[in-house]
Amino acid sequence: MSSAAAEHNGSPALAVEGLVAGYGGVVALDGVSISAGTAAITAVLGANGAGKTTLLRAVSGMIRPRRGRVLLGGTDLAGRSPEQMVRAGVAHVPEGQGVIPELTVEENLRIGMMSWPSGRGRAPAGSAGPRSSRAERAAALDEAYGRFRPLADRRRKLAATLSGGERQMLVIARALLSRPHVLLLDEPSLGLAPRIMAQVMDLVVRLSREQGLTIVLVEQNARSALAIADHGVVLNLGRVVASADAQTLAADIALRHHYLGF
Amino acid sequence: MPVVEFLQFTLSGVVFGMIYAAIALSLVLIWRGTRLLNYAQGGMAMFTTYVAIEVIYHTGSYWAGFVVALAAGVVLGAVCQLTVIRPTMNKPPLNAVIVTIGLLILLEGLAGIFFGGQYRSFPAAFSITGLKVGTTPLGVSRFDVFVVAAVLVTTLALAAAFRYTSVGLRMRASAFNATIARLSGIRVARMLTIGWALAGLLGALAGVLVSPSTFLYPNSMDAIFVFGFTAAVIGGLDSPVGAVVGGLLLGIALSYVAGYLGSKGSELTSLVALGILVVVLMIRPDGLFSATKVRRV
Repeated sequence: MSSAAAEHNGSPALAVEGLVAGYGGVVALDGVSISAGTAAITAVLGANGAGKTTLLRAVSGMIRPRRGRVLLGGTDLAGRSPEQMVRAGVAHVPEGQGVIPELTVEENLRIGMMSWPSGRGRAPAGSAGPRSSRAERAAALDEAYGRFRPLADRRRKLAATLSGGERQMLVIARALLSRPHVLLLDEPSLGLAPRIMAQVMDLVVRLSREQGLTIVLVEQNARSALAIADHGVVLNLGRVVASADAQTLAADIALRHHYLGF
Repeated sequence: MPVVEFLQFTLSGVVFGMIYAAIALSLVLIWRGTRLLNYAQGGMAMFTTYVAIEVIYHTGSYWAGFVVALAAGVVLGAVCQLTVIRPTMNKPPLNAVIVTIGLLILLEGLAGIFFGGQYRSFPAAFSITGLKVGTTPLGVSRFDVFVVAAVLVTTLALAAAFRYTSVGLRMRASAFNATIARLSGIRVARMLTIGWALAGLLGALAGVLVSPSTFLYPNSMDAIFVFGFTAAVIGGLDSPVGAVVGGLLLGIALSYVAGYLGSKGSELTSLVALGILVVVLMIRPDGLFSATKVRRV
């Protein structure tokens, strides 16, 4: 993963330019431009309805942007389907409800590898790398269990039996199994106890520092997000109102009071 | 002898119950994928049974007709989904419902044009004379045994495929959470097409198995569809196990009604099925096998 990061060194791994998107008559994003540095954590902050979630949805292809570009390693992928975006290296962990409770923990994880080129037949268009074998998949699962120990003990249990923190662990583990370059996290700390929330934030930091993952982190909780982010972007009513490194934003008292509520 | 009579009614109820179960399962397959009730399921089954009867007529081989009917069910299911159902996705749900009703009318009309409206008898794979233990008739025939075995084998094969194959996991993931499935790279639209194809297969199987006892005509599957639908609702439209149990319960209940009430009973079966449907909907609207609500998005 660090080699993938090195490829894009210098240019941002993910850049969004002049993105306009919405639902029906409502414009949720009104010309948003952000860039997420390679192997860095970019926090996207703002109040409810600022357009944070819509931004992630437009990047991962869940909604089709009306205008603007989504540049991944310099290539414009705006308007691609989610199935294509995950194959291009973008993993999107949506807010809440990310686990499929009716499936076992292991089945949830296996879903994370569905974007891999299939073991037989032609490799799907747009997917990089060789076809993957059964052994390779098993090894990837083992690696996930090695990193997320509590999941290994529960692999045959239904995901419905997991606690909130374990569920968040599961959805992040599943997203990582798609071998992304860019990880989009929507409110990963929502509804978690403070101690568990700190663990999740710690994990996010390690993914960026140790794995070289480019992370876009959407958070209501601006204080804890800025504490771990390298860069921060503040959205308000679908527009970027501030973009600076995280310390600068955290130190800007007027901005904090006005948009971030702390 | 009341005991023998009871056994006969029960066994014959199981046989019809398995056919209702096949229809119910086909409805559940589509319901789970798209929250759509396929009103054309019976019409599709009727159409593929006509295909079977033509193949049997021209080749003289029952098994050729049987296999072609199942294949036709797969193709018809996939084609219907790709041509008329897919354009209704992301539209109000009522659109798709109306489209399936239109599809039913279309299929019944086409069957009338292509195959004629008269009643045709459909052959059975095996003898339909009743089996006996000693001198006691069991009320079921060799063909009835085949009916039960065919539905059972198909159901178990499908269950295993859903449980143990990658496609099965992708289909389950798509049904439970389409958003997560798409974000994980699963082509959900393709999974829905496969779901319709499998539903077409089950419907085709039910059509071939039931037609020796009902005759074949353009509306011949309407009543079977209603029973299959009732069975699916009894089991809870979400539950494949429920569909099978619902089919069996309904088959046995209707068999008792028809058996014990004599000639009046067989006229009452539809009414009784409706009564059961109403009672189930009043007491357990989500069916007997509804999963506990672990998730409501």
